[in-house]
Amino acid sequence: MSVMRALDRKLLRDLSGMKGQMTAIALVMACGLSMMIMARGLVVSLEETERRYYGTSRFADVFCELKRAPLSLESSLAALPGVAAAETRARGVLTLDIPGMREPVDGMIFSLPEDRPQRLNLLHLKAGRLPAPGSRDEIAVSSGFAGAHGFVPGDELAGTVYGVRRRFRITGIAMSPEFIYETRAGEMLPDPRRFGVFWMNSGELSRALGLEGAFNSLSVRLSPGADGDETKAGIDRLLEPYGGLTAYDRGDHPSAKLMRDEIRQLKGFSVAFPAVFLAVAAFMTSAALTRLVKLQRQQIAQLKAFGYSPFSVGAHFLKFALVPAVAATLLSLTFGMWAGRAFVSLYHRFFQLPYLEFIPDWGALAAGIAATAAAVVLGVLSAVRRAASLPPAEAMRPEPPADFSPSRLEKMGIHRLVPPSFRMALRNLERRPWQAFFTALGLSLAAAIPVLPGAMADGVDYLMEFQWSLAQRQDATAALLEPGGPDAFSSLERLPGVLSAEPFRAVPVVLRTGHRKWRTAVTGLPRNPELNRLLDRDGREISLPPAGLVMSEKLADILELSPGDGVTAEVREGRRPVVRTVLSGTVSDYAGVAVYMEIDALRKLLGEQGTVSGAYLAVDSLRWNDFLAEVKKTPRIASVGSTAAVLENFRRTTAEMMGMSQAVYYVFSIIVSFGVIYNGARIALSERGRDLATLRVLGFTKREVSGILVLELALLTLAAVGPGLVLGRWLTEAVMESAGSETMRFPVIITGRTYVMAAVTVLFSSLFSFAVVTRRIASLDLLGVLKSGE
Amino acid sequence: MENREFFPGRESGEGRTGTPLFRASSITKIYHQGTQTEVRALDGVDLELFDGELAVLLGASGSGKSTLLNILGGLDIPTGGRLFYREDELTGADEDLLTAFRRDSVGFVFQFYNLIPSLTARENVALVTEIAPDPMTPEEALELVGLEDRMDHFPSQLSGGQQQRVAIARAIAKRPEVLLCDEPTGALDVTTGITVLEAVEKVNRELGTLAVVITHNAAIASMADRVIFLSGGKITSIRGNERRMPARSLSW
Ligand SMILES: Nc1ncnc2c1ncn2[C@@H]1O[C@H](COP(=O)(O)OP(=O)(O)OP(=O)(O)O)[C@@H](O)[C@H]1O
Ligand SMILES: [Mg+2]
Repeated sequence: MSVMRALDRKLLRDLSGMKGQMTAIALVMACGLSMMIMARGLVVSLEETERRYYGTSRFADVFCELKRAPLSLESSLAALPGVAAAETRARGVLTLDIPGMREPVDGMIFSLPEDRPQRLNLLHLKAGRLPAPGSRDEIAVSSGFAGAHGFVPGDELAGTVYGVRRRFRITGIAMSPEFIYETRAGEMLPDPRRFGVFWMNSGELSRALGLEGAFNSLSVRLSPGADGDETKAGIDRLLEPYGGLTAYDRGDHPSAKLMRDEIRQLKGFSVAFPAVFLAVAAFMTSAALTRLVKLQRQQIAQLKAFGYSPFSVGAHFLKFALVPAVAATLLSLTFGMWAGRAFVSLYHRFFQLPYLEFIPDWGALAAGIAATAAAVVLGVLSAVRRAASLPPAEAMRPEPPADFSPSRLEKMGIHRLVPPSFRMALRNLERRPWQAFFTALGLSLAAAIPVLPGAMADGVDYLMEFQWSLAQRQDATAALLEPGGPDAFSSLERLPGVLSAEPFRAVPVVLRTGHRKWRTAVTGLPRNPELNRLLDRDGREISLPPAGLVMSEKLADILELSPGDGVTAEVREGRRPVVRTVLSGTVSDYAGVAVYMEIDALRKLLGEQGTVSGAYLAVDSLRWNDFLAEVKKTPRIASVGSTAAVLENFRRTTAEMMGMSQAVYYVFSIIVSFGVIYNGARIALSERGRDLATLRVLGFTKREVSGILVLELALLTLAAVGPGLVLGRWLTEAVMESAGSETMRFPVIITGRTYVMAAVTVLFSSLFSFAVVTRRIASLDLLGVLKSGE
Repeated sequence: MENREFFPGRESGEGRTGTPLFRASSITKIYHQGTQTEVRALDGVDLELFDGELAVLLGASGSGKSTLLNILGGLDIPTGGRLFYREDELTGADEDLLTAFRRDSVGFVFQFYNLIPSLTARENVALVTEIAPDPMTPEEALELVGLEDRMDHFPSQLSGGQQQRVAIARAIAKRPEVLLCDEPTGALDVTTGITVLEAVEKVNRELGTLAVVITHNAAIASMADRVIFLSGGKITSIRGNERRMPARSLSW
């Protein structure tokens, strides 16, 4: 026992000599664990908040929009099998006139039942109260919108509902489980300055929307254990005569879907990337401890001679792997929790959630630590086993000098060209190919890791260029309140400043392939759209075939369709035709999924001529203000989206959302690359210390001696950078693939700049490590090496 | 190479001139153990060593032999006293100057050989010839110690005596003015030890190199021109041998 304690003391002393290495290992491990705590914690927090919020706010399970049905249908709906509660409402759009805002602002407005309380989708009031029953001009305003404009209860708003200008008084600021993501239908990012959600009493809103005694939106809560599909089918049957679109469940609800995809994206980042860090940390620990075990050969032999089992000897060494592991855990708890909380407050700016608290995922953390520990144990165990399996007598002698032979490279004749010092480096590497391999692997990973944050930025740049400069070239998108005929299109064309206009016709459809079903809209576009262009993966224009559908690659993936496959389209508007058609092509896009058709083919299908739902417009920038002013005066225009505003919003939002993670990842990658190289350099120094000190004795200058070690490390680093960048690409592809969703795909675009940055990060860390090692060489103990055999 | 100017006069290496190569006066080396105890490894050493002579340092373990040799070779710095190599003072010389001194003027041979395991015999020698101003070829040096047929062997493929002879070849290949050997035969048996000593003797004779050999072994003293006795960090006596015995005739 006392031997063990004395040895512990000795090892502690050795460890304190390895302070730098232990710190490096702890830091790398802490990076991986922090990232995991952060990302997994966010996943758990969002999932938990979602679950709680959806529960307490009685978020509906099934939704259905329709044209117009009498309120008398309510009782039949409530009687459908599986329906626990049903609530009908009126739903419309409005445009707002906000003093000081030139751009159009629009929103969605919903009715609140006069006989409150609400039964479903309960509003959470952040301030004020709901409109008083019976009041005619009171509204509640969504929190994102109110926050962006600084509205408080008591403020007034002017807007147009269904062509009629009205004034509203704000009574409350509210959040709805339906608008955690406060976005316009079909958009991916909240734009609270230009879009809001509003609630008012049903009596007044129904009148305004021409829906007296009727409803156009239904929410249903299922009874426990109910078969949702059966209920949905029942709803569809009942609402069919009333212009019902298709009933859909929560999974298809736009806001819920965006939430789910955000969580999915976080999950994508929470596994592969931290795992790489932890793997690197495990490599580093094993390498450092393996070296320590070799240095402790004699002590191990003594312990064995005293009768300790190889197992207890191994356990003894593993205790020292605990030192960096514990430090890393403490560090990552501090930093990971801090960063997690910082992300949560960032999320509060984009998600309208009444509460969101950071909940660490202890299970994942434990799994991460356990996996790292297992990797370390495996790595060290072989060295301990080798040392412990030696007969004590042999182990008490110093390790015999290794068996060297001319290296393979030399057999090719290289040795005649290079000095002995270079040969030393080559042979050292060749003699322990596995060690060299693992060091190089660590270095490769160090080069791979900075590629990801760089690629994130590259991907966003590319996406913006692709989406808004190559594909969508319109300055504005005007949507009509109701589809109109050729005159409607020409009135849009004649708006001031409009240089050219391109019509579109959008109708809700349900696509069916086999048993798969997809609710979406088909957008009819001219055969060769000039403004809203459709592009393939390489950015080439796609022209729409006279028949058949063209859809987003991602949607074709989800539906498992390839061009040429048949698909049934059920139109949910007008005479509701059902047609059998084919998928004739796919387009490359990154945000959302869409289905297109040649506009005349779509009109023919609907039995219409020259109809439009709106138009894409190219507008003279000098007349932009005239254009906007006129738009505001045109009641039949439901909304006008400005491409520049969307782009600007995207840029700002992604900059904020991604900027922080990118910064964190980049800092982490610098820590890793420095840690790996430093650790490798220290191990190499420890192994070569004797040789290098001997050279110093023989009259080699410090510079020459450092040169030999640096050469060896530099050879490894240079060999590792190329494969590292390739690994970085794979890692990026894996992470982007698992983070991509229907809402958002990330193109794997990696610019030369990103590769250069990654390589420079590694080379810079190398230089720094070399400097540290060089300083240590200067203080090598020259006399010490002469006193002993090893 | 520019460092040669710090050590002029190497051309006069042949033949005795009567001027000492090394002049040490009142050299002390004190190690402090904690704050209280101190170890006087060298306690006032005065010594002159001459060009071309073969000196043996004898003394009990711990008497300060290695400490003295290391100070002479520019590996260690004395606590007090002055040390000159020719006209240059080594005491107070900076690190770079000492490195240049070792590189250009001193050859070392140690008890544990200190060969580089990853280099062959030839390459171990080449390591030094490549940085020396006027070296012999590695082949010549290895021939001098009788290892011409082992040149491409790695240290692990050589016996202890052969390894030590490689170390000697490495030490002399640069034609140093001084050859410092710390217990070169310490780890070897008699016959092997003698081949090693023969190599030292040959270099001393043929190249006129000042050789200083540390040993515990009084029998070896008879191959020296002078025998220096150390005890407790002091030189107790210096004995000149009338006649040097060839290494071959030694036995112990
Ligand atoms: N680094 C050191 N720290 C403290 N004391 C030292 C150190 N190096 C040597 N000594 C002490 O200096 C004294 C002289 O040591 P030195 O190595 O010169 O002896 P030596 O004559 O070469 O002995 P040996 O024949 O055993 O090699 C010894 O008492 C030794 O303990
Ligand atoms: Mg000694």
